Amino acid sequence: MIFDFALIADSIPKMLTGFWMTFELWFLSAVLGMALAIILLLMRISGRWYLFSPAMIYIYIFRGTPILVQIFIIYHGMPQLEFVRESMFWPILREPFGCAILALTLNTGAYVSEILRGGVLGVDRGLKEAGAALGLSATHRFIYITTPIAIRLALPAYSNDIISLMKSTALASTITLLDMMGIARTIVAETYAPYEIFISLMIIYLIMTWITQRTFGWLEKRMSRHVRSEA
Amino acid sequence: MEALTGWWDNFFWGSVVVAEVFVVAMILTVLFGLTGAAAKLSRNRLAQAIANGYTIVFRGTPEILVLLLFYFGSAIILTAIAQIFDPEIKYVDIPPFWAGSIAIALIVGSYATETFRGAFLGVEPGQIEAARALGLSNFKTFIYVRIPAMWRLALPPFGNHMLSLIKDTALISIIGLEETLFVAEQAIATTGKPFTMFIVVGAIYLGFSTIITLSVVVLEKYANQHLEIAR
Amino acid sequence: MTVTDQENIILMEDVNKFFDSFQALKNICLSVKKSEKVVVCGPSGSGKSTLIRCINRLEKHNSGKIVVNGHELTSDVKDIDVVRSEVGMVFQNFNLFPHMTIIKNLMLAPRLVRKSSKSEAYDTAMRYLERVKIPEQADKYPSQLSGGQQQRVAIARALCMNPLVMLFDEPTSALDPEMISEVLDVMTDLARDGITMIIVTHEMGFASLVADKVVFMDNGEIVESNPPEEFFSNPKNERTKLFLSQILSHYE
Repeated sequence: MIFDFALIADSIPKMLTGFWMTFELWFLSAVLGMALAIILLLMRISGRWYLFSPAMIYIYIFRGTPILVQIFIIYHGMPQLEFVRESMFWPILREPFGCAILALTLNTGAYVSEILRGGVLGVDRGLKEAGAALGLSATHRFIYITTPIAIRLALPAYSNDIISLMKSTALASTITLLDMMGIARTIVAETYAPYEIFISLMIIYLIMTWITQRTFGWLEKRMSRHVRSEA
Repeated sequence: MEALTGWWDNFFWGSVVVAEVFVVAMILTVLFGLTGAAAKLSRNRLAQAIANGYTIVFRGTPEILVLLLFYFGSAIILTAIAQIFDPEIKYVDIPPFWAGSIAIALIVGSYATETFRGAFLGVEPGQIEAARALGLSNFKTFIYVRIPAMWRLALPPFGNHMLSLIKDTALISIIGLEETLFVAEQAIATTGKPFTMFIVVGAIYLGFSTIITLSVVVLEKYANQHLEIAR
Repeated sequence: MTVTDQENIILMEDVNKFFDSFQALKNICLSVKKSEKVVVCGPSGSGKSTLIRCINRLEKHNSGKIVVNGHELTSDVKDIDVVRSEVGMVFQNFNLFPHMTIIKNLMLAPRLVRKSSKSEAYDTAMRYLERVKIPEQADKYPSQLSGGQQQRVAIARALCMNPLVMLFDEPTSALDPEMISEVLDVMTDLARDGITMIIVTHEMGFASLVADKVVFMDNGEIVESNPPEEFFSNPKNERTKLFLSQILSHYE
């Protein structure tokens, strides 16, 4: 078994043309997902049953089912429904890219909202009491005390989720999108050299993961610089 | 809904396959996780390096890529090995069931490595010292003191790993495993109702997730009963 | 907000408080006059913290009446932030906001609640920081300060709201011994100013110097309440005597 290095050298640039697609999928879903997560979080901690119940059900469903299934439901399944075909969103939902973004957003939104909630719950009760004792309203306490601390607490878990999201973008290849994974699979189908291609692709993803981890590590350090670690 | 008549049986058997994969993968995950944790905690530099490499690679690579790489890659390796013994052999591969189970166990096992390692380190040294001072051998200390303490710490995150595991089983359909997504695809070909069929798959997975979550809750109660009694 | 012509700035009548089935406060009756210094003492679990936390509604009492500066504490949320801005609290664990500098910790509430301008809030903050003798720490973060310094900052932070009443929940219990006096000194200084103070503490020396009234609590009840001279030299109740003998022998 010989490693076909020529093939690798040839394929890597081809796969990298898919980088932009991968990045777009990743970035858009991350941003939209965060927006959704914040909405879900506020619903979840609102204390009002008509807000936190739908939020909890949503989170339960999207964290309890595989993302591949969610992608298929949206891409293959939605066209079955008449009201989808006739809605104004149809141009987006007809395209694999729109479907992928939608699926990834809905999925990551559920996970990130729980991560944010973990951060919020981790804020020391005493700090909130101190804010209350000073006469700060609940809203003020949430904005000025809870949120900054919760962000710092949630950062490690969030960085893990961002990496998960990146890995999930590879599933877009199952609905014809030509991200890096999609291109890799087409090359493999043509050349019957899965080893070389997939290992090279794996290295590309590992580099991306490494860069992401370093970035978040730096961010975590910066945010914790004034916090003495608990002895 | 009528579209589903006749397909319930198939979905049932598909679910059985999912359950089988899950059980096999769960056992392997624990195996890989414990081995990895042991390697990381050992003083052997080589073992640590391999374990670190293991976690880095499998946590930073998309699951679908790992699956494809493992499935095709193992075929290549096995074929090469088999050809040493019998040059007539054209192609040896691992059935998707095993390739898939091992692949997802390797993935989740890399996360479990960190969990078990953390749980192991989380055992209070004082307990170990007390056990040794009482004359318990290393081995007995390990079984009667270390493992119960570890287990309690590892259970909640391990529950999350199991949830990841069950959802990852959906990916194995990509390499041809005849489980629920496969059934769904057949059903769609016949009935033309992708939405319905994929929703059923989603519901099946949601059912599995719920069972796992409930099991973890029960196990946690059992593991912490000594704390409950004190209240 | 001025005090009404009622004599008492704080009034608690037949107050009861339950945590599930556990009764933390039993028929508490307490009145505090303007400028009075009240020390509350007692064994652990006697309900001392619960009592003062009911005054600014960090705990909700189940029955009875609590009136703070003319406002009755009820489940009406609107008033509670107002009451809290008039009542300052110092916690055992300081509870300084870790993500803000000292000066920002002090400026936050005046700016948000009293709508002070940035410069007003800054001036007030620096004034109180000087009062507690650590103006040079203004731009540091809480984690960079010692426990005694953090607690003094916490006192200054509460004072920046110009409260009519200051509540202290075991302010020195989490401090290393050598830092206790720096905080007690600040509190003694404050007492001279005329502000109403209610202090939960084990520091009996401080109590005898500063308190107008010492209240002994045990098992959720107020057992005895007397000026310090009476309280320490002539305890009336058996439980008080027991407590004093335990705590004072500790000092010998």
